[in-house]
Amino acid sequence: MQSTSPFHSLTPEVKYSPPWQDLSIIGIAGSSGSGKTSVAAEIVKSLNLPWVVILVMDSFYKTLTPEQHHKAHQNEYDFDCPDSIDFDLLVETLKDLKKGKKSHIPVYSFADHQRQPQTTTLYSPRVLILEGILALHDPRIAELLDVKIFVEADMDVCLGRRILRDVKERGRDIEGIVKQWFTFVKPSYTKFVAPQRGVSDIIIPRGIENLTAIDMVVKHIQRKLQEKSEAHTEELHRLGLIAAKIVGMNTILQSPETEEVDFVFYFDRLASILIERALDMTQYGPINVETPQGNKYMGLSPRGAVSAVAILRGGSCLETALKRSIPDCITGRVLIQTNESSQEPELHYLKLPPQLEEHSSILLLDPQMSSGGAALMAVRVLIDHGVQEEKIVFVTCAAGETGLKRLAAVFPKINIIVGRIEEDGEPRWMEKRYFGC
Amino acid sequence: MASKDPVPSPAQGVGPNYQPDGEKPTATVSKEISYENVHVLSQTPQLIALLTMIRDKRTARADFIFYSNRIIRLLVEEGLNHLPVVEQSVTTPVGRAYLGVKFEGKICGVSIMRAGEAMEQGLRDCCRSVRIGKILIQRDEETCMPKLFYEKLPADIADRWVLLLDPMFATGGSATLAVEVLKQKGVPEHRILFLNLIASPSGVAEFAERFPKLRVVTSFIDQGLDDKKYIIPGLGDFGDRYYTL
Repeated sequence: MQSTSPFHSLTPEVKYSPPWQDLSIIGIAGSSGSGKTSVAAEIVKSLNLPWVVILVMDSFYKTLTPEQHHKAHQNEYDFDCPDSIDFDLLVETLKDLKKGKKSHIPVYSFADHQRQPQTTTLYSPRVLILEGILALHDPRIAELLDVKIFVEADMDVCLGRRILRDVKERGRDIEGIVKQWFTFVKPSYTKFVAPQRGVSDIIIPRGIENLTAIDMVVKHIQRKLQEKSEAHTEELHRLGLIAAKIVGMNTILQSPETEEVDFVFYFDRLASILIERALDMTQYGPINVETPQGNKYMGLSPRGAVSAVAILRGGSCLETALKRSIPDCITGRVLIQTNESSQEPELHYLKLPPQLEEHSSILLLDPQMSSGGAALMAVRVLIDHGVQEEKIVFVTCAAGETGLKRLAAVFPKINIIVGRIEEDGEPRWMEKRYFGC
Repeated sequence: MASKDPVPSPAQGVGPNYQPDGEKPTATVSKEISYENVHVLSQTPQLIALLTMIRDKRTARADFIFYSNRIIRLLVEEGLNHLPVVEQSVTTPVGRAYLGVKFEGKICGVSIMRAGEAMEQGLRDCCRSVRIGKILIQRDEETCMPKLFYEKLPADIADRWVLLLDPMFATGGSATLAVEVLKQKGVPEHRILFLNLIASPSGVAEFAERFPKLRVVTSFIDQGLDDKKYIIPGLGDFGDRYYTL
């Protein structure tokens, strides 16, 4: 067993970008009642992928002043002109998401025409569908969009749908709806909505009924995702070639015995040693204690909270050992699975402790690491949630050498505790033995 | 499902048998439920004291983990009582025959993530090298219905008795979906044991009717659900208290 503060050789700085850092954003614009929402929903359904999220631009309405608020209730406030939307915030949000950061989506209440104090958190989508009458209006946003769609429908149909929807779902009266239509919606359509056709990539006439057009869009997105997935794999290969040195790795502890009952027992023993070693990497400060004989002893005490994050499914194998050393260790969980077909790690589930970034050390647990894809992703997730790189201690029972080099090269400040260095490309068998499936 | 006027939980004197009734302290005990396939642990003074510990909001995480593990072991032990056994005669070191039984059949645990995973240690304490599968169910943001996100189960699960683990049972959406998943994998309903710490009366009743052959082993049936479908009095979010709070 060896612990290391992996040092950096004179290689250029390397960075790992998780697949969601380069998310695809699809903008869908079109008149009110044109069927944007249905088209968006149909695309989500046809893609049939996790991590596809619809972002409705209504969330970015500006908070109204009391005067505007009054107007809104009289159907005299123009919700259809670009001024009513906080484009600056929307641009910020989309940029953050493009960078792979966590963002907070405002929640807008139509009842009070106000932004609510709470927000919705959005992190790591692969595909984001931005839907709103003016989704393609702002050139800063248009630039961020991978696909720009304009949904078109006959204006009579739009008005008809709007009346049906507003009466049924928003409890409004027909007179008010018609008044708003002719005062704001229709003029705004001519002035702001229709011109978006010019910047769009695809115009979908007849909205949701137009299955051919929707199918084209879906195929296009799938092709893009495939290209990104290949690029991601290539990047992992590239990182492996960098000869970052990892100091003195030796194998002391061998893989456990084969009997099932024994496997669990010895695994827990090995893992306990690794956890104890990992705790050497955490922060301690001086403390004076008095012994029962009244003597002074100058010792050390842990500084700050030590928490753990298990990379599931395997990481939970290490929790038994963890609890032996810290019975009430705060534990977060992140489920990362390698996609069998693309060999790409996928983030399925994330539950991190509150104020994780304030803890003095975070042990990141994974019983076995091969290419390092899952570990890279997990470290990246922690950093994106505000954890400083040097506070992370990655604990694993067995790891492939290339994977370790990768991890150390990308995150030179993390500490790594490894039980045994094994051949590259070793499949993840330890968790299978531990759980028996 | 949340009854506006929940029937209060029964309160009774709890204490050892030798203690005269008048001297026993009064405590809230589990509601009675009249389904043959729902087994509530005996409301012993020990169990009530353990439950009191983990329900108390002042209980720190270390104690919460320790005491909930104790209850979970009681649940597993009770659950194992529901598995069939066959006659087994052994010879003792003094050369006498002892007619006993041995368990027949293979078991596995399946935890409903994340809170169910907290019950794995208790299961392992009782069944050393038990196989453990996992199911992740989350609420679908759009439909608000529980949705299966991930499952990893033993390949031969259809031949096993399954101990399904989830500590809190409110409306039972996740547990119901988990049972459906198990049945799809070929596990017969009668070979599923659902181990649970605290259940809501409406949720568990519906569950017991829906899966009449499945057995529920729980330590306590609580008073009911509030408007947000949380169990009352309950103990808060089990996963948060066990892992992060």
